[in-house]
Amino acid sequence: MKARRKLWAALILLAAFHGLILFAGFFAPYGFAVQDRDMPFAPPTRLHFTDARDRFHLRPFVYGLKDDPANPGAYAADTTQAYSLRFFVQGSPYKIAGIFETHLHFIGVSGDNRLFLMGTDGYGRDQLSRFLYGGQISLLAGLLAAALSVLLGILVGSLAGFYGGWIDELLMRGSEIFLALPWLYLLFAVRAALPLQIAEWQVFLLLVAVMGLIGWARPARLIRGVVLSAKERKFVLAARGFGASDAHLLLKHVLPQTYGVILTQIALLIPQYVLAEVTLSFLGLGVGEPMASWGTLLSSLQQYYILSSYWWMFLPALLLIPLFLAYYTTADALQERFKSVSL
Amino acid sequence: MRAHAQFEAGTHEPLMRVAGLSKRYAQRRPLTRAPFTISAFEDVNLTICRGTTLAIVGESGAGKSTLAKCMALLEKPTAGEIRFEGENLLELNRKALFPVRRAIQLIFQDPTSALNPRLTAEEIIAEPLAIQKISTKDGRRMRAQELMEQVGLPARSACKRPLEFSGGQRQRLAIARALALEPKLLILDEALSSLDLLNQQMILKLLADLRAAHSLTYIHISHDLRMVSEFADEVAVMSRRRIVEHKPAAELFACPEHPDTKALLAAMPSLESICLRRLA
Amino acid sequence: MRYIGRRIIHAVLLLLAVSFFSFLLLQLAPGDFFDAMRLNPQISQQTIQSIRSEYGLDKPLPIRYEHWLRSMLKGDLGYSLASNSPVAPLLRVRARNTLLLSGTATLLAWMLALPIGVWSAAKRGGWGDRIGNIATSAILTVPDLLLFLGLLLLAVRTGWFPTGGMISPGIDGADFWSEAKDIAFHLVLPALGLAVVMLPVLARHVRSATIEALESPFIRAARGHGIPRARLLFRYALPAASNPLISLFGFSVATMLSTSMLAEVILSWPGLGPLLIESIFSRDVYVVIAVVMLSSVFLVMGNLLADLLLFASDPRIRTGGE
Repeated sequence: MKARRKLWAALILLAAFHGLILFAGFFAPYGFAVQDRDMPFAPPTRLHFTDARDRFHLRPFVYGLKDDPANPGAYAADTTQAYSLRFFVQGSPYKIAGIFETHLHFIGVSGDNRLFLMGTDGYGRDQLSRFLYGGQISLLAGLLAAALSVLLGILVGSLAGFYGGWIDELLMRGSEIFLALPWLYLLFAVRAALPLQIAEWQVFLLLVAVMGLIGWARPARLIRGVVLSAKERKFVLAARGFGASDAHLLLKHVLPQTYGVILTQIALLIPQYVLAEVTLSFLGLGVGEPMASWGTLLSSLQQYYILSSYWWMFLPALLLIPLFLAYYTTADALQERFKSVSL
Repeated sequence: MRAHAQFEAGTHEPLMRVAGLSKRYAQRRPLTRAPFTISAFEDVNLTICRGTTLAIVGESGAGKSTLAKCMALLEKPTAGEIRFEGENLLELNRKALFPVRRAIQLIFQDPTSALNPRLTAEEIIAEPLAIQKISTKDGRRMRAQELMEQVGLPARSACKRPLEFSGGQRQRLAIARALALEPKLLILDEALSSLDLLNQQMILKLLADLRAAHSLTYIHISHDLRMVSEFADEVAVMSRRRIVEHKPAAELFACPEHPDTKALLAAMPSLESICLRRLA
Repeated sequence: MRYIGRRIIHAVLLLLAVSFFSFLLLQLAPGDFFDAMRLNPQISQQTIQSIRSEYGLDKPLPIRYEHWLRSMLKGDLGYSLASNSPVAPLLRVRARNTLLLSGTATLLAWMLALPIGVWSAAKRGGWGDRIGNIATSAILTVPDLLLFLGLLLLAVRTGWFPTGGMISPGIDGADFWSEAKDIAFHLVLPALGLAVVMLPVLARHVRSATIEALESPFIRAARGHGIPRARLLFRYALPAASNPLISLFGFSVATMLSTSMLAEVILSWPGLGPLLIESIFSRDVYVVIAVVMLSSVFLVMGNLLADLLLFASDPRIRTGGE
């Protein structure tokens, strides 16, 4: 089935993406704050397989970069210096899970040279490494915020739907208030309520908390809808007849009906929240320098000369497309699957 | 299939006594918002003795299902009392009611909606035991399998889900579940209406066997008088929200008194009337 | 009539709740405008204190809220401490610009979404439908950020469009038409970008609503009467599909506001978005609340408008009550 294959492809892509980012320390050639002031705005390093003498090498190699005399500010390949690409090299130290320190990197070049597969920014920082590390911030923010929103949505939606009455009224009116505010405005307003200069991890946590707290309204309404119809089912009534407590009814009979909605909402919310974090950081209101977040990577594009001259600065944004595509495909597939299961 | 008399000789205390039971709903007219009440049933009085089978009949929509749910303590009536083994159940709070629930169980009309499609047969039957905190997980599983055999379901289908069973088998499953708590009173709310005739007969036989084995008392809600005439000891006729006649079955069918009863009996197709109509 | 009254009251109450909520939010801010001043040793605590009490910033919360609400309703939105001018006129200009942009973009988006959606529904399953589906999916997965940056790049590289702002320098004072043309010229990129971002969701909903309408019995009857295709689609099916579409319109106002903020910042359109960002950086409390409230007002108004349109167009609502 074509739909099945699409779903699997999407899930594999997601796993690969998240895997790479999870182990950013290993896959990134360098740390995210490592600067190379001699190499600002270097274009992505080209990998060569045949050298100047037309010899084919199985192991690709890169040329060193030197200033181009003909083009001030640009770089030209220095064919006298060739460095081969190596795997599993020793490089700058990093910590796995913040505990184990190691020097092992997946990729690198021999010698003193540098490998910039995605180019560098104004401070000569490798964009690939910053992309991977940035992903840790942006993706994690998206995942955590989505989880928070959905958890709140489950809580509110099931209580409102199951008990009805004034609880339902109160909670739904509350959700209306949240839905009445354009979410980006609300997000910014709450960000405004926070001091501008606070520790990075605090910014991160607060950001996640705020995004999560803003977005619970829609999942809550959807879950409430399912709960309303689910609680009328005869088997729920039968369980009541055995003396089941409300908790038992909710956990064993009613909530399992909402799994489809929950999964779909998560798959839809994650890209939305990742984008929210990126937007915030892009505008300078998220995590700050030197911390990399996909948003901060892109923020320099607001300057015209960077925008038009250094195309590789766009890459982080372009790479978001397959990621989002994978998430949306998953959400679509989940919706299809659970539409047919509900009786 | 004729019913037999009580088992426990000397028990003159009826199992359940329903007095003055009513259920009313407060509604408002759509545009004017004027309040008015709808009643599902009014002033119902019934006495059910141990070991008997009472059938409550009437046209569809006469409030029988709601009455069944009230008697099974799944809904709260607005007035009256339900005395079970002497105690008024409507006065008990939730905690006190908890152990009593074991004694009264309801079988629904549509077995498919009464069984959670996500659970296996074993889980479904074991659930009431788990809720009432009886035995251990393994003990419950064994009991579930015992019950399945008692209702005539093969033990190896314990891991199947309701949708994998046929309609008749699902109703058996529902019955097995109801029996798990060793109830004294079983209320069947049109439990046979969704089944074909063959299955109806099989389930009726099963119910008769079970009654003998477990000393059960039944209340059958039905609109099918012909089927009722086969197994009921007593019949109560419900019409326009009230019980209009309540007699031993034989008497009712032989000499009905109330005009509504007579109307119901008249509408019941008998072999002669079918033949007559076809000839005409 | 009662229905309209109820919706209006509902909207007002909602806005009241929102106002209190946003006010509360801002009061939780641990820092305020005077942080920078406090760090300056030359300005004494008393000076800061007296400035604060002058602006009424040291009274208890309920009083401040009541104060604020009252003056807001009178039209006085407070004072912008950063730009040293009352908030209301500042907001008025920016709000007008945002409405201009959002309104144009919405119009554009719907003008495109309706024909695309209806046509996809008509040619359901065929080539056109599938292309439409792929195109809308493609647009959906591209982050808005990227789209607007792309448009900016286009402007910078080709010079066909202005790269920002609303008016070219020097135009001010010229006659109405040249000013209008100039503004329109500046409007193209941001409005186009916004419209493209909104398009996929709208087109998809139009499509599904039209499909549902086409399958209803009375359309089939009309077809049986031999009514020509185009007329059938636009004079019969579309009005029947209008109920969910009007609700969608109300809903799209919310997302439109959020998305336009980003567009305004990237393409330098002087609307509420950039104002909000600036005031956050300068911790200009009153401006921030005012902007958030205003955006919420727009949103609630949009929904109310949608409710009223629904009321006017769908007879079922008029007779059914709630």
